[in-house]
Amino acid sequence: MTPAARVLALAGPLFLGLLLGFLYLPIAVMALMSFNASPFYTLPIRWSFDWYLAAAGNRQLLDATWNSVSIALASTAISTLLGTMAALALHRHSFRGKRLLQALLFPPIAIPWLITGTAMLVFFFGTGIGRGLHAILLGHVALSIPYVVIVVSARLATFPPDLEEAARSLGASPWQVARRVTLPWIAPGVVAGALFAFAVSFDQFVVSYFLATPGQSTLPVEIYAAIRKGFTPEINAVSTVVIAVSMSLMLLASRHFRFGGER
Amino acid sequence: MAPVSVRRLTRRYGPLKALDDVSIEFSDGGFYGLLGPSGSGKTTLLRLIAGFDPLDGGSILIDGEDVGRVPVERRRIGMVFQSYALFPNMSVADNVGFGLSVRGAARAEIDREVGRALELVRLEGLGARRPHQLSGGQRQRVALARAIVTRPRVLLLDEPLGALDRALRDDMQVELKRIQREVGLTTIFVTHDQEEALTLSDRIGILKDGRLVEEGPPEEIYNRPQTAFGATFLGHANLLEAEVEPEGLRIAGAGSLLPPPGDRLPAAGSRVLVALRPERIAISAAAPGSPGILRGRVVQRLFAGSRVTYFVDGPAGSIRVVTANAGDPILGPGAEVNLHWADDAVSILQR
Amino acid sequence: MAGATTRSGMVAALPLLAPAYLWLAVAVFLPLAAMVFFSFMTDLPVAGRTWSFTLSNYETALGGELYRTLLLRSLRLGLEVTAWCLLIGFPAALVLAKRLRGRTREAVFLLVILPFWSNGLVRVFSWAMVLREGGIVDAALEALLPFEVDVDLIYSYPAIVIGLVHSYVPYMVLTCYLTLQAIDDSLIEAARSLGASRLTILRRILVPLSMPGIVAGSVLIFVPVVGSFMEPRLLGGRSGTFLGTVIEDQFVAVFNWPLGAALSFVLLAVVLVVLAVSAPVLRRAT
Repeated sequence: MTPAARVLALAGPLFLGLLLGFLYLPIAVMALMSFNASPFYTLPIRWSFDWYLAAAGNRQLLDATWNSVSIALASTAISTLLGTMAALALHRHSFRGKRLLQALLFPPIAIPWLITGTAMLVFFFGTGIGRGLHAILLGHVALSIPYVVIVVSARLATFPPDLEEAARSLGASPWQVARRVTLPWIAPGVVAGALFAFAVSFDQFVVSYFLATPGQSTLPVEIYAAIRKGFTPEINAVSTVVIAVSMSLMLLASRHFRFGGER
Repeated sequence: MAPVSVRRLTRRYGPLKALDDVSIEFSDGGFYGLLGPSGSGKTTLLRLIAGFDPLDGGSILIDGEDVGRVPVERRRIGMVFQSYALFPNMSVADNVGFGLSVRGAARAEIDREVGRALELVRLEGLGARRPHQLSGGQRQRVALARAIVTRPRVLLLDEPLGALDRALRDDMQVELKRIQREVGLTTIFVTHDQEEALTLSDRIGILKDGRLVEEGPPEEIYNRPQTAFGATFLGHANLLEAEVEPEGLRIAGAGSLLPPPGDRLPAAGSRVLVALRPERIAISAAAPGSPGILRGRVVQRLFAGSRVTYFVDGPAGSIRVVTANAGDPILGPGAEVNLHWADDAVSILQR
Repeated sequence: MAGATTRSGMVAALPLLAPAYLWLAVAVFLPLAAMVFFSFMTDLPVAGRTWSFTLSNYETALGGELYRTLLLRSLRLGLEVTAWCLLIGFPAALVLAKRLRGRTREAVFLLVILPFWSNGLVRVFSWAMVLREGGIVDAALEALLPFEVDVDLIYSYPAIVIGLVHSYVPYMVLTCYLTLQAIDDSLIEAARSLGASRLTILRRILVPLSMPGIVAGSVLIFVPVVGSFMEPRLLGGRSGTFLGTVIEDQFVAVFNWPLGAALSFVLLAVVLVVLAVSAPVLRRAT
């Protein structure tokens, strides 16, 4: 290698390292400060769990956390079921308008959540659906369905068509084919889709923000409100927990779903 | 085990006829090879018999029962797919036992039958493996065991050896034939490999553009092809123009008249095409005393060890000749030669 | 497919498709349609109020000096953030796709896109922690520099850009990486054997071939950034007024929903134009 090539060879990984630093530094700072006893973030750190204890004693935060978790679980269950059904139908059958239905999955992903969220607010208000946890759930499921359909469809696309025919030639009824051959095959896609759906709901701020009411809101909405009132180290602690949960979920999802599309 | 017959089958894909008025009788316990180039309709025919695609015309009878409207899962067929289509989420034993299991057979019966089937395909002891842990040949055997364990009425094989390499293929041909004999299943198999079809089949059907163009025992359709397509698709054949005369056939430039082959000779004066297999032609250096049937000059010679192939230019065009290497002196390019053949080496083709 | 004709296919698919699409209709498509309707009203159609159809909301949204300035500000923010993400994300994707191998590559790739799937609000908040006066950047610079500095980046335009780039750069890495890793290495080797320099290879081969990824990443970043409101609020303070924050205000503070709807649709129009312009390049990729 020429000296120039050696520099280039080093520059690449160094650049990636800097990018990773940029991505993780603020998160690390936040996490560290959540363990700092000083409310003014003074260094050196005096270790303490006080802020976690304070957060755990905050009724409003606890309620919001409970809401977030239950809405995320419900939204995941519903969107995974409906999304998987739709993906199976789109994979198995050909009919006029199929491409349109597939194209309709993209607006909920591509249109900024600000627009979708305010549109939901307007529509739910006008139709009497109203705001609150039920409205938030309604919205979260809709935002998650396209992700589930896309992830499950990607898995189905690799499904060898021969397998279902082989099962039928051996005497399996359509139901037996689905239960014993198709579903086991798409299971990793369904699991990954469910984890995405959970993340979309659990981390959702924008849509929840417009649909929440004072008594009925989710954790991100409460965090936003708290930040706008002024920084408190309590929020640090809660935020650290939230980011730990969502990152672990995605690590889990990555074991089932190759984000890079490689084998 | 049952005879299968298909009558006047037609299958359209849009304006295209993938299968056009095809009728074949598949005899009970017979081994029937369907041969043809890609797009000829052979796989379509197999899939129609299996029941994967709906019919556009005609009928399919298995053991006398019209199965045209019977769904695949109730046709009691066994099928081996080109890709084998082994279920990746199941062990070898579960794959083989799948057909019995979906019929609600008892665990003990499934185990016994699976054991017997694995023994038949010589895979005893591999039941706990997963398909991805097997070699190509082993997977092929699992697919076969899975297809026959349910005692189907007919076994359908879609290019079963297509994914194997040459040496493994030859072994599997012998195995396949043995297993089919032992089980006695009516077997229909699709292949594009003519040698495989000739080796394995009791009867062969050749399809072209959705139509059945040749049908019969392998030796008959090889020796006495009916069509130019059949003659050239199955092995090599020299196709020669000939004129019908009252006493026999005259090939352009031939020294003598050929006696009429077989009993049917078209009307005198008409022109016909005849097929002549290269290995049925004897070649010898031209000598004044023996005129032969045709004269010609060697333009190219390919030596392949056990046999020698000559391309001979003569008045009837270029003729391919294959001779066994019996130690005779090998003729070089430019050599003047005489060609001879037996009367029955010639078959008249349908136009 | 196995004999599924157009008609019978639809009949068989309907029971499986209907629940998902009905849900999407109620929660996304009908609301968007209702929003169009609202944007042409003088007031909310609630009991006791009179309302009529009008174009005045769009006149205000498009004609007013204030909103035009805000739209331009938002577009500029979108372009700047997209440019930074491209400048950082493409080289990162290149190193990832063509330099790293095997498990290292997988691990680094995962690390880069992991933050993207974690809570965006919390990540923006963490920047507020870092950039504020007395925060890490301030403290670090004070420790390093001999003279007194007072870095207070928070509540400034750069803070908004930093926060948004941090939020969206993983998208660019992801889309560029997907197209770059699909480029056969032998193409690069062929180019080198023909005497091409690294720069030529980048300019003539890698960039053109990964254009679908670059465009996809740019669209996926530009669109949400133009409509962002939470990031400018948390990191921009008074300098954080953009189209997105004004729309938010119409819905949660001023309660002029018709104007908010009209502004939303001006934003949506921008989004649709961007999608339409980029569609040919994206279609080439599939």
